[in-house]
Amino acid sequence: MIKDITLGQYFPGASPIHKLDPRTKVLLTILYIVSLFVIRGGWGYFVSAAMMFVIIALSRIPFGVVLRGIKPILFVLLFTATFNLIYGTGTPIFEDVSWLGWLTWNGLRNAVFMAVRIILLVIGTSFMTYTTSPIMLTGAMESLLAPLKWVKVPVHELSMMMTIALRFIPTLVDETDKIISAQKARGADFETGNIFRRAKALVPILIPLIISAFRRAEELADAMECRCYHGGNDRTRYKVFHFAARDALAALVMTGQLALIIFLNVVT
Amino acid sequence: MEIIRTENLTHRYGIGTPFEKTALDGVNISVREGEYVGVIGQTGSGKSTLISHLNAILKPTEGKVFVDGADLWSENKARRIETRFKVGLVFQYPEYQLFEETVYKDIAFGPKNMKLDEAEIDRRVRESLRFVGMGEDCLDKSPFDLSGGQKRRIAIAGVMALEPKVLILDEPAAGLDPKGRDEILSRIRDYHKETGSTVLLVSHSMEDIANNADSIIVMEGGRVRMHETVDAVFERADELIAMGLDIPQITKVFIDLREKGYDVRTDIYTIETAKREILSKLTGGASRD
Repeated sequence: MIKDITLGQYFPGASPIHKLDPRTKVLLTILYIVSLFVIRGGWGYFVSAAMMFVIIALSRIPFGVVLRGIKPILFVLLFTATFNLIYGTGTPIFEDVSWLGWLTWNGLRNAVFMAVRIILLVIGTSFMTYTTSPIMLTGAMESLLAPLKWVKVPVHELSMMMTIALRFIPTLVDETDKIISAQKARGADFETGNIFRRAKALVPILIPLIISAFRRAEELADAMECRCYHGGNDRTRYKVFHFAARDALAALVMTGQLALIIFLNVVT
Repeated sequence: MEIIRTENLTHRYGIGTPFEKTALDGVNISVREGEYVGVIGQTGSGKSTLISHLNAILKPTEGKVFVDGADLWSENKARRIETRFKVGLVFQYPEYQLFEETVYKDIAFGPKNMKLDEAEIDRRVRESLRFVGMGEDCLDKSPFDLSGGQKRRIAIAGVMALEPKVLILDEPAAGLDPKGRDEILSRIRDYHKETGSTVLLVSHSMEDIANNADSIIVMEGGRVRMHETVDAVFERADELIAMGLDIPQITKVFIDLREKGYDVRTDIYTIETAKREILSKLTGGASRD
């Protein structure tokens, strides 16, 4: 049930993708997203999709998991594709059929490309979280944003907050599951009735959940204070990141991909 | 008459992910109506997973669950929700499910879902409050203003108010002080005696179960290792110890006495039988209560 959400989930592993420096992965994910928006023609999408397949294969994450990650955005996908299809301009596909006049080659092209772009965007970004543990990810954020400390941005505190937030997602999901079960055991029904009845049925879940989140926050704050935690300067990390040869290789491949896409844009 | 039966019940969590785990592995149990059953096992032995199947909160990966003779998962959804009123389940740390403004409303949540009339709801709220040993003066208070032990009792009352044929409690005494623990357990025992309903008490502490239960189910690694009367289970105390389960203090004393060369029984788990055993040995076999 609620545990089946895959977006933003980490799958432990020891693949070459898992082993990359998390900072590399953050930067290269950004580069990949940029490359997706640079693409102008079909060949560019082909290159991008091929790149994604290589990454999926290297990471050894089951393909089914990747597909499941797309499920939540299916609606957005259909919505965008439909509108691109309707609002296309240019030559109609069926020039003899007057009532299909709105269906143009241009619109079809845009709809397909837009759908592919969104799918690659979602898979690309989820792959960062599939292969990088949340702790590594926030570590990478902190390290990459470190220059902002010069303009008094509390980078460490922000990344600590993010770590804690990410750390508590599974806990709260577990908690939600437990509360749902407990209220079901008392005959609560979340699945029938109109939208208002269903919204009202959520009250017995939300109130205990909020209360428990506050309780946990307080306990954690106490525990941190007991250990004399204070953020900011001079804190060292338990795991120090090091760029390795594989990071350079990954960066080279990803930049090569972007260069190829730009090249394809120019020639076609 | 048999009220609960499972056939080859198997449950796997996280199928198709790297976290797949078999929590229950071919479990067959049978519980008679009116019986008080203790379910015991270490953390992770599958106790909680087992009981979540008995009122259709979890769906078996394989196998069947029968309640009152009916197969839970061959019936439609409405009937399954009926089962939840027949088998009342009190989860671990039930105090975290309280949500209403007043104690009264919270206990009434279950009966209201059963669509009972106001008078019946009122009767059940007061009755279950009495069962858990709380005064009626707390009915208008917010459940969040009560102490931890009191909250727990209100939450248990919330399930008792369903007047289920089977009441299942998962570690109802966890995290309470010894006085609170004895209080809760004796309340549950009284409830069992007074209503004649079936009770399943899950615990990892033998002491909680030994004094109350008619029979004990011992679980290890998702399987049922023993399902016998309390006496029969304690005769196999050495096996319990090998499983990493704690046996009652008084049983340990008698096992030590036996090792020291005294000819005493070792299936002793209450102070009363211990006293009788010692007295009978001292007076040379003549029992003297």
